[in-house]
Amino acid sequence: MTGFDFTFFLEVLVGGLLSGVMYSLVAIGFVLIYKTSGVLNFAQGAMLLFAALTFVSLVERGVPFALALAITFLVMVLLGITIERTVLRPLVNKPPITLFMATLGLSYIIEGAAQLIWGTQVHGLDLGIDDTPLEISGILISKFDLFAAAVAATMVAVLTVLFRWTRVGLAFRAVADDQFAALAVGLRLPRIWATVWTAAGLIALVAGLLWGARLGVQFSLSLVVLKALPVLVLGGFDSILGAIVGGLLIGASEKLAEVYLGDVFGGGIESWFAYAIALAFLLIRPAGLFGQKLVERA
Amino acid sequence: MANVAAPSTSNSFSWQVPAWLAPLAVVVAAFGVVPFVASPYVIEAILLPFLALSLAAVGLNILTGYAGQLSLGSAAFMAVGAFAAYNFNLRVDGLPLIVTIILAGATAAAIGIVFGLPSLRLKGFYLAVSTLAAQFFVQWALTKFGWFSNNSPSGVIDAPPLAIAGVTFDGAVGRYLFALSVVTVLTAFAYRLVRSQAGRNFIAVRDNELAARVLGVPVLRTKLLAFAISSFIIGIAGVLWAFAYLRTVEPHGFNLDRSFQILFIIIIGGLATIRGAFFGAALIVVFPLILSRLGSAVFGTVFDSGVLDMSQRIVIGALIIIFLIAEPDGLAALWDRLIKRAHGRTEP
Amino acid sequence: MTRHLTDVGSIDSSSTQAAGPDVASLLQGYDPGKPATEPILHLSGISLAFGGVTALTGVDLRVEKGEIRAVIGPNGAGKSSLINVISGVYSPDKGTIGFAGQTYAAMRANRVAHLGLARTYQNLALFKGLSVIENIQTGFAPRVRSNFVEQTFAIGRARAEERSSRQAAEDAIALLELTAVRDRPVSTLAYGLQKRVELARALVSRPVLLLLDEPMAGMPAGEKQELAAYIRTARDSLGTTVILIEHDIGVVMGLSDRIAVLDYGHKIADGTPQEIQANQAVIDAYLGIAHPEDDAVAGEARA
Repeated sequence: MTGFDFTFFLEVLVGGLLSGVMYSLVAIGFVLIYKTSGVLNFAQGAMLLFAALTFVSLVERGVPFALALAITFLVMVLLGITIERTVLRPLVNKPPITLFMATLGLSYIIEGAAQLIWGTQVHGLDLGIDDTPLEISGILISKFDLFAAAVAATMVAVLTVLFRWTRVGLAFRAVADDQFAALAVGLRLPRIWATVWTAAGLIALVAGLLWGARLGVQFSLSLVVLKALPVLVLGGFDSILGAIVGGLLIGASEKLAEVYLGDVFGGGIESWFAYAIALAFLLIRPAGLFGQKLVERA
Repeated sequence: MANVAAPSTSNSFSWQVPAWLAPLAVVVAAFGVVPFVASPYVIEAILLPFLALSLAAVGLNILTGYAGQLSLGSAAFMAVGAFAAYNFNLRVDGLPLIVTIILAGATAAAIGIVFGLPSLRLKGFYLAVSTLAAQFFVQWALTKFGWFSNNSPSGVIDAPPLAIAGVTFDGAVGRYLFALSVVTVLTAFAYRLVRSQAGRNFIAVRDNELAARVLGVPVLRTKLLAFAISSFIIGIAGVLWAFAYLRTVEPHGFNLDRSFQILFIIIIGGLATIRGAFFGAALIVVFPLILSRLGSAVFGTVFDSGVLDMSQRIVIGALIIIFLIAEPDGLAALWDRLIKRAHGRTEP
Repeated sequence: MTRHLTDVGSIDSSSTQAAGPDVASLLQGYDPGKPATEPILHLSGISLAFGGVTALTGVDLRVEKGEIRAVIGPNGAGKSSLINVISGVYSPDKGTIGFAGQTYAAMRANRVAHLGLARTYQNLALFKGLSVIENIQTGFAPRVRSNFVEQTFAIGRARAEERSSRQAAEDAIALLELTAVRDRPVSTLAYGLQKRVELARALVSRPVLLLLDEPMAGMPAGEKQELAAYIRTARDSLGTTVILIEHDIGVVMGLSDRIAVLDYGHKIADGTPQEIQANQAVIDAYLGIAHPEDDAVAGEARA
């Protein structure tokens, strides 16, 4: 390689890390639900689409930004509660794989409903942040990427605080450790689940807006879920820290590979490259990023 | 999980007809009656996709239903089968169709083993996610490298004429008989397989991997075998999909939605039952047609193709959840119950 | 039917210099003077810890051929860890396992069956999707040499194998009187029957050594006696050596030839049922449970 451009390399790296934060944000929605109910919620992407589509459609119909945000959040709360009532409760104590398949069904319903209600056309979403590059010590960084990363980081901080230091968080962790024990000491699982799904709905809303502003609000937004899955394989389904670090790792290596290896593979490798990284990593280090006690990923 | 027990050799149901009689009757009717009564439309729009999807579901059921390894990448192996058959046919002069099909299945099996390797280390969701790698990688490779589609734009391939020993199967009925023969042979194979030692090993690994290992079941080999056989069958289902049903396909036709469709078939039909694959496929194929007729009858022109598409998604999603909640063993179990009840009524 | 230890030569005995197995086994005899009394299983200095929690500390155990050997102890004494070490589910941190003339640093779960070892589980580990006879046939796996094509079409080696696995399963079914339920899905059976199916599945390969992990847990007294009788039948008619883990001291007294007692991961006593009954340390260990505040002190004192 002649004349390696280090500044360019840094730009790519930072860009990758920032988009990795966006992956992390989606992945955290999964982790939250996985930790408390042992379900890999495939519908997370559909929820993201649903939130973004609802918000953007409200704004397009003249609803003020803040009000639209509030209404969408309320809708996500209702969705969370409905999911708990109609899907999770009847399937309590079923094997995790059954619950996973139920969330697959759920994602079909939500995707279908979102587009049946709001239509299938592509909506632009403007959050008021222009995507001009910002120069920081010689490196060009997208302003929007920075904003998105900041929002994601804030979300992570808020969730961490909630999870660590509040009563609700304590209950979450109790449920995550042992559902039966939690039941025995009188924790009300349905309420906790409804809360968790609401929180996941909130994450979906934030992630949906950020990704929607980036990609346009349309059906393919729901496929963002496919970006988060390798992050989860890498970081562990039950680790928020893993989701963050995994997201950064995958974001960065994906961008770097696209730029530096793209020609070798003939481009378009982003659909599978993240999976290849996650799998290769697990082959070398089966315990995953943080050496979870399980040798085999169960 | 119902119906994975051995064929009942006990005589607790003395009124029962021999177990092989019902499938035999179905096969005889499918070969002897259907070609004469089914219209070309029914064959093209219902029976051919039904046969291809049923076979794919039989294949996935071996991996997911019997061996307990959840795969979200079935469509990739259909694609491998279809494109492998296309290339064998194109590049090897005078290769008999049957050999082409077997080689296509073998190619899919080889790819299946490669993408099954993570199963030696990963379980459950981690494995399920890693099977997505197959889905995306295969789709990418087939689109990216023109060689696979003989450099046709966007990777579209056209099926060659179907002929075995000079007999061509090009009309609707011909392709139906061809697909039916392939499905019958492979289903019989799958049926025998799951009742053999290999099949017991699949179930043992699924139900308790540690216990199976300590008992001396070769767990790793069993998992890879499940991936190989499953991909072999799914690959041949892909050949049917491309050669007998659509006649012209592109990699995009084997996308993630197709993988989910096959997974839904085995959930609705019943995990770990061979019959379930056929029940589930029938529902998944016929149901959209009914929905579209029903929709336009009730809602008239409001029910356009977009609305149909979305309502299909909703109803299929709902069906999955309803089955998981109300009938986790699927249509196969429902069918058994109905039969039993019917018998109860006719008995004195 | 005679048991033949297939594959013994090919087992990777990880601990030793791996000279010829026959020579090695002689040299590693623990008491070269009296090879006739060489135990079938000889654990020496087995230690195991999970993170900071110690499960086993320097446990020695000799099991003679043909005996029913009980390992008892209060909850958390390390009994299940011990059985998991022997069956290769866990690898010990220290110590060696001598089995059938070979010495291992650790057993490997996927090889133990080929060595002639079989086990049952504290919480049933049956294959829910299989019938009783199919579950039992699965225990025949170490003898299977045929490939899936032979098995699918019932040709070649698979024919004879299927016949002998079926016969072996029928024998086990007859021995444990499971004939009435032989074709039922195991999940539909009562708990006690499932335990018996598990025992039959372990016995079908005619193991040299049978490990039973709390086989009587959760059973009413009558069923315990019944199962004890089946265990004795298995030993008497097949010559299988049995290691039996039990929480309940009473039930093993009449069944076992010798008893080892574990407490806090240490072996605190070893002897005939009579000796154990009279052993003050054992009585203390069992009484100690009632006074958890003394445990730490008592544990150290005993250690």
